[in-house]
Amino acid sequence: MTDKLIVSTSPHLHKKESVSWIMWMVFIALLPSGLAGIYYFGLRALWLILISILAAVVTECVCLLLRRKKITLLDGSAVVTGLLLAYNLSPAVPFWMPVVGSFFAIAIVKQAFGGLGRNIFNPALCGRVFLLLSWPKLMTGFIKPFSNVDAVTSATPLVLFKESAANVYNIGLTYWDLFLGRRSGCLGEVAIFALIIGAAFLLVFKIISWHIPLTYAVTLGLFSWLFSASGFARGDVLFSILSGGVILGAFFMATDYVTCPLTRKGQLIFGASCGLLTFLIRRWGGYPEGVSFSILIMNAFVPLIDRFTRPRVYGKK
Amino acid sequence: MKLYALFKEFSKGIFKENPIFVIVLGLCPALAVSTSLENALGMGVAATFVLVFSNLIISAIRKKVPNKIRIPCFIVVIASFVTIVELLIAAYVPLLQKQLGIFIPLIVVNCIIMGRAEAFASRNKVLPSIFDGLGMGAGFTLALSLVALIREVLGSGKIFGHLIFKEFNPASIMVLPPGALLTMGVLIAVANLIKQKRK
Amino acid sequence: MELKLFLMILISMVFINNFILSKFLGLCPFLGVSRNIKPAMSMGLAVIFVMTLSSIITWLVYRFILIPFNITFLRTITFILVIASFVQFVEMVVLKKSPALYRTLGIYLPLITTNCAVLGVTVLNIDSFFVQKAALHFSFLLSLAQAFFAGIGFTLALLLMSGIRERLELNDTPKCFEAIPIAFIVASLMSLAFMGFNGFKF
Repeated sequence: MTDKLIVSTSPHLHKKESVSWIMWMVFIALLPSGLAGIYYFGLRALWLILISILAAVVTECVCLLLRRKKITLLDGSAVVTGLLLAYNLSPAVPFWMPVVGSFFAIAIVKQAFGGLGRNIFNPALCGRVFLLLSWPKLMTGFIKPFSNVDAVTSATPLVLFKESAANVYNIGLTYWDLFLGRRSGCLGEVAIFALIIGAAFLLVFKIISWHIPLTYAVTLGLFSWLFSASGFARGDVLFSILSGGVILGAFFMATDYVTCPLTRKGQLIFGASCGLLTFLIRRWGGYPEGVSFSILIMNAFVPLIDRFTRPRVYGKK
Repeated sequence: MKLYALFKEFSKGIFKENPIFVIVLGLCPALAVSTSLENALGMGVAATFVLVFSNLIISAIRKKVPNKIRIPCFIVVIASFVTIVELLIAAYVPLLQKQLGIFIPLIVVNCIIMGRAEAFASRNKVLPSIFDGLGMGAGFTLALSLVALIREVLGSGKIFGHLIFKEFNPASIMVLPPGALLTMGVLIAVANLIKQKRK
Repeated sequence: MELKLFLMILISMVFINNFILSKFLGLCPFLGVSRNIKPAMSMGLAVIFVMTLSSIITWLVYRFILIPFNITFLRTITFILVIASFVQFVEMVVLKKSPALYRTLGIYLPLITTNCAVLGVTVLNIDSFFVQKAALHFSFLLSLAQAFFAGIGFTLALLLMSGIRERLELNDTPKCFEAIPIAFIVASLMSLAFMGFNGFKF
């Protein structure tokens, strides 16, 4: 009888969304890209994904036990982190890498801050950058689609671009290749069409909004077009958006609720800044790809962005 | 009895009031020079030298220094010993000077030295001050060495420049700035945990 | 091309060799004053001010007193005394002229004296822009730029940290990580992110 009396503060609206529902929807949206990655890079990609998820889940379990909290694996957040981390790895990495990365991502970047909803930085991206800085050679060995792991490593389109190429045709690819994912790269970032399907799914269900991804892509495209190495206003816009981890990053990682700004205005600033930073690192920085670093840097700015884009309270100046 | 009291002044600097893990001072060098055990020991010894001698002098002149200008006086004393250490290192261990770089002159502003001068040496007799300096210096060196050990082993697979295991693939990030900050954060958390368990 | 050099110094001091996140100079005030945004901003401004002006004075002292009299080994003592006196002087002036400004900035000034960052940048200037006891071309302007941008970098890290820590106040951090360890972890992740600027070349 007492259960019928639910006392809560207004607004008394009930939606079917809860954290776990959102997480599992994101997981579903990410699946097509993983399947494409397995198609291109073989079963090894599947093992990497599974190991990464398992490591993330186990770490979360252990941390929650140590902190004497309820084990909430079913909320799907550790699974999504594990999956995203795997997507950011080259299919040629050794199997212990996702384990170390997932451990760092969950234990340090998420649980040490207080767990779900409390982290400041995106755990999967931190894990990825941690691995990159620790074992640079292993993390930057990529393979061509449909080839054996022991095959000669090939450079990703962005690496070739940084070294000399002016546009996509110089490296023997077409835009269609980029869109389908027929290029070397991280196992979850190459299949643009699969990512777009997932992104559309999330947009339709209003789980993410277009503000961040659109401003990210537009800003990146604009700057890449204007200030590319081949001269003013002669950059390859499509290439800049379709290569590297932009689509994966802009739709699935920059939009992570916990680490992005609360207000629309803040989100636009966030998206645009990510785009600008990605461009700067790609163009003049030491790394061929800047998506991970850009998003992490902007994650650090989010509390300040939220502070300064607070909506005006009615009645106050 | 007196010897025991002196020993207590010495030992408190190692665990209970460890300058780095408990009082949390003197962090700048702890992070910057802890990339290898060799550097850590070098810095630890240099800082201890300065700490002991400044404590000695400051304690000796404590009754004669007017209160208003005591801080500049302390600075002059500490800076003089730092200069002596600088010259000694440049003359006898030039390799260490290259490794430690600007952190040798920065011993002057090491919070531990100024902190002990203000909190202890200026209020206590010479002999206890010397032991306090030795203890704090030892604690600092030990803490520094612990951080350096972790960073050097995990980050380059070596100790004192010698490779330990051949198959181990070191995590380069540990010898980079993020690794240093991470190591400090985790070690202080562990120290806090030990403190909690003791209560 | 001089402009490129200044741009490189800017990127280097603010991002790549950020005094707090990369060189670890100025950690004590960083941990102490970064719990809230307003004091962090005040501290940052005070640091920029002291770093820039101290570097000017110490540069002049080094160039026109220490080198000619061949007493460059007295660098450490002279610099720290110069900095301490300068800060003391500024504190007195600010207290007299504007008690309001004193309340916002002034209380941080003594903290800055014994701060690795200020002495660090003055020594760094000498190491970077003097060779064999002779000043390089544009040494003065470059030292000034280096100190100013180092201050900016310090302030940037401080501001970001204060924003994050204000948010962390509401968190449910594990007890052993509270306050200082989590601040280090935040700094380590910020440092991680800033490494993206490594290798910048124009």
